[in-house]
Amino acid sequence: MSAPLTFAVPKGRILDEALPVMARAGVVPEQAFHDKANRSLTFACESEDMRLIRVRAFDVATFVAHGAAQLGIVGSDVIEEFDYPDLYAPVDLDIGHCHLAVAEPKDSAGAPGGASHLRVATKYPNLTRRHFERMGIQAECVKLNGAMEIAPSLDLASRIVDLVSSGATLRENGLVETSRILDISARLIVNRAALKTDSRVAELVEAFRTEAQAREAA
Amino acid sequence: MTQPDDLLPVGLEDALPVRAAAITRAMRQVLSAMDANGYDRVRPPLVEFERSLAGRMEGVATRRMVRFTDPDSLRTLALRSDMTVQVGRIAATSLRDAPRPLRLCYAGEVATLKADQLDPARQRLQLGAELVGSDSVAAASEAVGVALDALEAAGVTGLSVDFTLPDIVDTLAEEALPIPVDRREAVRRELDMKDAGGLKAAGGEAYLPLLYATGPFDEAIGKLAALDAGGVLASRIAGLREIAASLGTRVRLTLDPSERHGFEYQSWFGFTLHAEGARGALGRGGTYAIKGSDEPATGFSLYMEPILEALGSADAAPREALFLPLGHDRDAAARLRTEGWRTVAALAEDEDPAALGCTHVLEGAEAKPL
Repeated sequence: MSAPLTFAVPKGRILDEALPVMARAGVVPEQAFHDKANRSLTFACESEDMRLIRVRAFDVATFVAHGAAQLGIVGSDVIEEFDYPDLYAPVDLDIGHCHLAVAEPKDSAGAPGGASHLRVATKYPNLTRRHFERMGIQAECVKLNGAMEIAPSLDLASRIVDLVSSGATLRENGLVETSRILDISARLIVNRAALKTDSRVAELVEAFRTEAQAREAA
Repeated sequence: MTQPDDLLPVGLEDALPVRAAAITRAMRQVLSAMDANGYDRVRPPLVEFERSLAGRMEGVATRRMVRFTDPDSLRTLALRSDMTVQVGRIAATSLRDAPRPLRLCYAGEVATLKADQLDPARQRLQLGAELVGSDSVAAASEAVGVALDALEAAGVTGLSVDFTLPDIVDTLAEEALPIPVDRREAVRRELDMKDAGGLKAAGGEAYLPLLYATGPFDEAIGKLAALDAGGVLASRIAGLREIAASLGTRVRLTLDPSERHGFEYQSWFGFTLHAEGARGALGRGGTYAIKGSDEPATGFSLYMEPILEALGSADAAPREALFLPLGHDRDAAARLRTEGWRTVAALAEDEDPAALGCTHVLEGAEAKPL
């Protein structure tokens, strides 16, 4: 097989931390990749049998799960949200740490429970539903793609479920974290069939694993 | 223009002539390869009681099945979503007294109400063979061999087989690498996702080496043997080696001991079939127990969609057809059909043979190229 491998990386937060890790594992994108003005989505790599695509975090998982890309890097929040059966996450890259949490307005937080039904604004409807189901609550999720923090003050939903790293955004919007759902770090993900049928994929997994172990040992 | 009412629901499609021909051809070749290996075909019904579909094997969920109430018995009926359980029922009931080992094969449509996230198909053609009465190493070797025969007969090339040990967590968790019963599901799930970080978080750190004992069979089985705590896996490892030896250099072999995707009801042995050109697995199989009769069995299932994907369009050579003009010699046409000709008869005077897909025309008693 000589078709180039496709490696999907997410735009934004994780990428800056991921690039040095990728470089140590031998995945180095062409210069154009670092050019902020460059609008293309596909980039060549230093090694000829690989190309990089830069897409939204949620789409990284989708591309890899469908086998459109063989490998990718994405936060474990996205992996858990989709729960794709054809996705492996063999290496914890130990970067991009944050957590997923429930937050609600400071004034109403800690009010006695007992609700069997809640409206929650989130980018993660599946994780949210699963979390509240475990507490015996049917969560009606309002899917937003960003800025959930303003949803409670505008009465769109009484709570939000979102990523928290420093907690500053929550505080600025008068919200407090009330429970932690999931600790998140970035993972190397691979397509199941690609790992089984293409030895280059296994070699890359090994390279990333060695790199992660070296950092852990240091 | 297609009216909205004429659209097919998501996940359902018509197979038009070229595709239908490819399906028919592959199905025949697979069925005759299974028949040649001594497997008798059975044809269970499309619809059964939900309970009987769910009750024969471990881990069969009826949630995704198309279900409705039988107006006659007032019990819940379901459309089959996997024919293996039906063969299990047949072996445990009608063919209870048939001599063992019992070799049965099948091909038929299965349906689900809700499709996978990744594969939108809600109806698929399942083909398979089950060897009832044994889950020995010999039976497992036979199942893998027959599956490969069937795929090769259909013309699939570049095959690879991935072995797994579906019950490895339960086996190890008892004593060798103990985990409390309530945590096993979480450990199994993370192993399934090959999620190293998640596995640690779920308390399965001792199982991490399993993630790395994957890859080309010879290497991986060595790694697995090296981490076999207390020798509880020794018989399984020996079994895998024997199955691998029976296949020789026929296909590329890999091992992934903790793979559980699609192995909900398998016991000690499972395998997945991959081929170049197909993104998904072509099929999977393994050993299991038929619930109710508690009989061991070994078998495999193949799915038509990935088989066609692996075959590509290589098989789609145009066929020859003979145009029969009005007033042609009927006896000559009948004779040519028995010789294997495909004929297309004219219904009216001004028909164009080429437009009807014909390559030859009948002149007198002879087929002449157009």
